[in-house]
Formats: sequence, C-alpha cells, structure tokens
Amino acid sequence: MDEVVRLVFDILAFTSVMVLIVLGLGVIASMMGIFNFAHGEFVLLGAYTVFLFHESGLPVWTGILAAPLVLAVFGLVLERTVIRRFYAAPIIAMLGTYAIGLVIRESVRGLLGGLYKSIPEPLPGVYSLGGIDFSSWRTVILVVTAAVIAGSWLMLTRTSIGLQIRGSLENPALARSCGIATPKLYALTFAFGSALAGLAGALIVPLYQLSADIGLRFLVQAFLSVMLGGVGTFEGPVLGAAAVGATAAGLPWLVIPVLADPLVFVLALAIVRFRPQGFITQGRL
Amino acid sequence: MTAVAGLLARRRGRALRVLPLIEIGMLLVALVTPFVLGERTALVTLATNVLILSMLAISFDLCWGMSGIMSFGQALFFGVAGYVIALVGRDLEFSHIWGTLPLAAVTGFLLAGLLGAFLLLGRRTPTVIFVALGTLTGSYAAERLVSGWQYVGAGNGLSSVKLLQAGSYEFVEGVEFYFLALGVLLLVYIAARILKGSQLGLVLAGMRQNEERLAFFGYRVQLFKALVFAQAGAVAGIAGALYSYHQGFIGPGNMGPGLSTTAVLYCLFGGTGTLIGPVIGTAAVEVITYLLADIDAIKRIWPILLGLVLLAVVMFQPKGILGIFVSDRERIGSYGVRTEGQE
Repeated sequence: MDEVVRLVFDILAFTSVMVLIVLGLGVIASMMGIFNFAHGEFVLLGAYTVFLFHESGLPVWTGILAAPLVLAVFGLVLERTVIRRFYAAPIIAMLGTYAIGLVIRESVRGLLGGLYKSIPEPLPGVYSLGGIDFSSWRTVILVVTAAVIAGSWLMLTRTSIGLQIRGSLENPALARSCGIATPKLYALTFAFGSALAGLAGALIVPLYQLSADIGLRFLVQAFLSVMLGGVGTFEGPVLGAAAVGATAAGLPWLVIPVLADPLVFVLALAIVRFRPQGFITQGRL
Repeated sequence: MTAVAGLLARRRGRALRVLPLIEIGMLLVALVTPFVLGERTALVTLATNVLILSMLAISFDLCWGMSGIMSFGQALFFGVAGYVIALVGRDLEFSHIWGTLPLAAVTGFLLAGLLGAFLLLGRRTPTVIFVALGTLTGSYAAERLVSGWQYVGAGNGLSSVKLLQAGSYEFVEGVEFYFLALGVLLLVYIAARILKGSQLGLVLAGMRQNEERLAFFGYRVQLFKALVFAQAGAVAGIAGALYSYHQGFIGPGNMGPGLSTTAVLYCLFGGTGTLIGPVIGTAAVEVITYLLADIDAIKRIWPILLGLVLLAVVMFQPKGILGIFVSDRERIGSYGVRTEGQE
C-alpha cells in the first residue's frame, strides 16, 4: 500500500511539472496559432537562471522566484522583435522558433561547458503523513502547480483581461474592432507562457541534473500533450499533460525502461492521429 | 566565356534560365574537386561527406520544397538504413554494392511509406503541425530506442562497419569513394529532376499552390504526398547507407532530431524547391564549419551562429541563397503557357 501511494505521489509530482510546461505552450498555441519550438529551451533557461543564482551564492529559492520574471521579460522582448513577424505563417514560425531554441540551447551548452550541474533542493528532506514519507520539495511543486492552474483559470474566467483574451481567441478581427489591442494581448500571452516555462524549469532543476539537452525531451512531450488535449481550450492541454505525464512516469513500472520512453510517444501520436481534435473539442478558453 | 555568353544571347528572346547553368557549374566543381585536393585526405573525406549529406538535404527538399510536408524526421530514414547496412555487414557479412544500396533504398522507402501512411492518409486531412510533430517524434523516439538497445550497440552505435564491396574491390575513404558518392548523388539528382518535371511533379506544384482545389479536381492529395514522402525516404536511406560505409560508424545521433534539423538548415540555406539549392546549402554550411573548426574562439560559438543564420534565413530570405539569383517562376517550376509579366 505504501509503495502504491508513493508511486502515485511521484507520478503526480512529475505530471504537475508537465502541466506547467504544457500550459505555457498551449496558451501560446491557442492564442496565436504558433507552436513554439523553443519552449523546451525556455524551460532550460528557467533552470539556468536558478543555477546562476546558486553559483553567485544567493539562496536557491530567490532564483526560483526570479526565473519566471526573467523569462517573462525575455519572452516579451523576443515577441516584440522576432515572434510577431511569424503570426501570419505558422510553418515559418515553427522553423523560426526552432532556430531560436537552437541558439539558446547552444549558448547554454557553451556557458555550462558541456557539464552536468546539480542544484540542491531548497526544501530538502521528507515529512511523514500517516506513516508514509513524502518528499517536501515535490509537495511544493504540486502545490505551486495547483496554485498556478487555479490562478490562470480565475484570470481567464473572472477578470476583464481574461475576457479580452477569450474574445480575441474566438474572433481576433471582431476583438480588434471592439477596441481590444490584440498585439498587446499577444505580447502578454507570450510573456505569460514563457514565464510558466521558466517557472517549470526552476522547479524541476533540483530534481534533474542541469544539462543543455533537457529541453528537447520536454518539448516533444509537451507538444504531444497539447495536441492530445486539443488546441484552443484551457482544460485540454492540462488534461493532455496529465495523461502524457502520468503515462511517462508510470510506464517504466510496467515495461522495460528502454521501451517505455518511445512507447509514450507512439501511444500519444496514435491517439492524436485518430482523434485530431483532442480530448476537449470546443474552443472556450 | 564566349560560349556561355552566346548561349545566353541565343536564349534571351525566350526565358533566361539560371538553374541549369548553376547545376552545370556545380557538377564541374564536383568533378574537379578531388583533383585539386589531391592527396589531402581529410579534405577529400570532407568533400565526400558533403556529397552524402547533400542527398539527405535533397530528400528533405523533396518533402518540403516539392510536396509541402514539413518533415523534422528525415534523419530517421537516414539512420535506420545506416543501421540496417551495418547490421547486414556484421551479422551476414554481406556488403556488395548491388545488394546493399538497393536494400537501403527499400528500407528507407518502406519506413517512410509506413510513417507517411500513418501520418498522412486517413479520412481527415492532417494539419501541417501534426505532420511536423509526428516526424519529429518518430525521429526522437527512434533515437531514444536505439540508444538503449544493446543488440545495436546502444549509445555507442555500431563502429567498424564492413567496407562496401564491388566484386572483390573494397571502397575505403578517398577519391574512389568520392566518385562513387558523386555517381549516386547524380543518379538521385537526375531522378529527382525527372520527378519534378513529370506529370506527378505538375500535380505537386498544383498542390503547393492550392491543395484544396486539387482535391476538388479529384486528386487524392494525401496519397501523392505519402508517395513523395516514401521516395524521399528512399533517398535518405541511400544517403544513410553511404554515410555508414564512409564513416565506418553509425550511431543514435545519426537518426535523431539533431541531424534532421541540420538537413532542414542545409535546404533552407541553399533554397528550397530547387533541388540544387540543398546541395549548395550543404556544401556552404559544411565547408564553413570545417574552416572555422581551426579557430578556437569561433568553434565554440559556431553552433550558436548556425542557429542565428537559420533564424535570419527564415526571417529575411526564406528563398535561400538561390532565391537571390533565380526567379520565382523558375524556382517553383514552369508549366503551361507563358504569360506576360510573370518573370
């Protein structure tokens, strides 16, 4: 019984990180129709920010607080200079964002010197609940993810900016003619998505070792999650991420690990192939 | 020079075609190269590599430039064919050219055909994003699978691949292998040119302009795409086999998204849809990489520069280098009656 509870807890922790990454990717894909191939590298940048803070002797948690802000500014600048040129052409956008990702990845690789770095958990240790030990840091990740999902949901459904976002998602032309500045909203959305990626990277870096290649794996999984859940919805990507994350974390217990990783991709791809509209069909972000 | 000028003058009344001139120029350069390089084996190896990777770039061009399939997984067919050839050499001790190169082509064709059928065919038309993601995922999943599979050497890949044989002759790195690669590249190139100029190529050109309209004419658009995708897979397979023989090594990295996207870079840099563009792009990128490898300061940041170059090409010169010299009409292919003001 203890084993099962702990397994479920680990799967939940991993899944919640996926949800954070996918939420950022999904928001950008839904709003602007752009699949951001650099998203995995945004996660990497978030992790790298924490590493920089740690290197310069500051406590790790300051880095984790700073990472979303750094990435939000980075995303905003990137959107203003590069991404906005791609809105009319999603395929060009794919190539362009891939190039951006390449630049980020190789820059970080150069800065790290190709080494693996590890960062201590800011909240080490375990606590007991009903006789079962839980990792404190993973609990923090779970709580933060839940808070972010709830916050985003409230912002989208209860605030006026959320209303504007939903409006311009449904009908950009009409939104513009109603006086909603869609370019500004797009810039904000992109910054928000980047910040989520940064937060995800900052939260997971104590669990994983920091290397330049962590982005790609998350990118592929996150993409499949978005497609799985359905573009243009809020719940879709979250559900998709939960499905992919849980499968990715749980499958190694069922089949040999070598097969597990590719199998997740094949399964997800097959589901998307036969249900291309995703779990949630109606676009009502 | 006068001959060229005369040729230009004679054709001026009609269309001034630049592409054939570039193609002939490239062929001449390719023929002369080994004699200029002579005994500098490292450079001959580099040149052979350029030829082999050109085939991979052409294979991507067949997908993207000709039929609008954004394939981020072209290296999958390259790598799998390379592995198949290496395994056939290791376990069956067979490496005769008449058997292995067709085997590589068939491997690439079948694999790409299967993947293409899975991604493209069906009642619903797949989105471009789905196809791009599907190919990327296939390539990534294969890389992960192979790097954990002991039978095929896991992360270390397969080294000391059995040498390619023609009769009792064995091809080693050098001028002979260079001309072999050049010959194969020429065959592939000519086949691709014939495909581009054929009736099938005409359908593809129509598809690129307006896929929906072609579908309404009764063409099974996705079937055409899958067919071209399979052919591109065959080309990538041949390239992978030659690569495997030439390097004497094939590893998981040779089938991953890294090489796949490098092929995209070659093609975009040179100019998509022209067939010769990818060759030029490959040569340019590889030669510059080689030249800069000696300078330590630049070597470190060269991958970053490559990314920036790709970004710049995508943003400012989506037609690639060739787009500067070659008119749109000639780039895309000309069919039917020529009307005024199209040049």
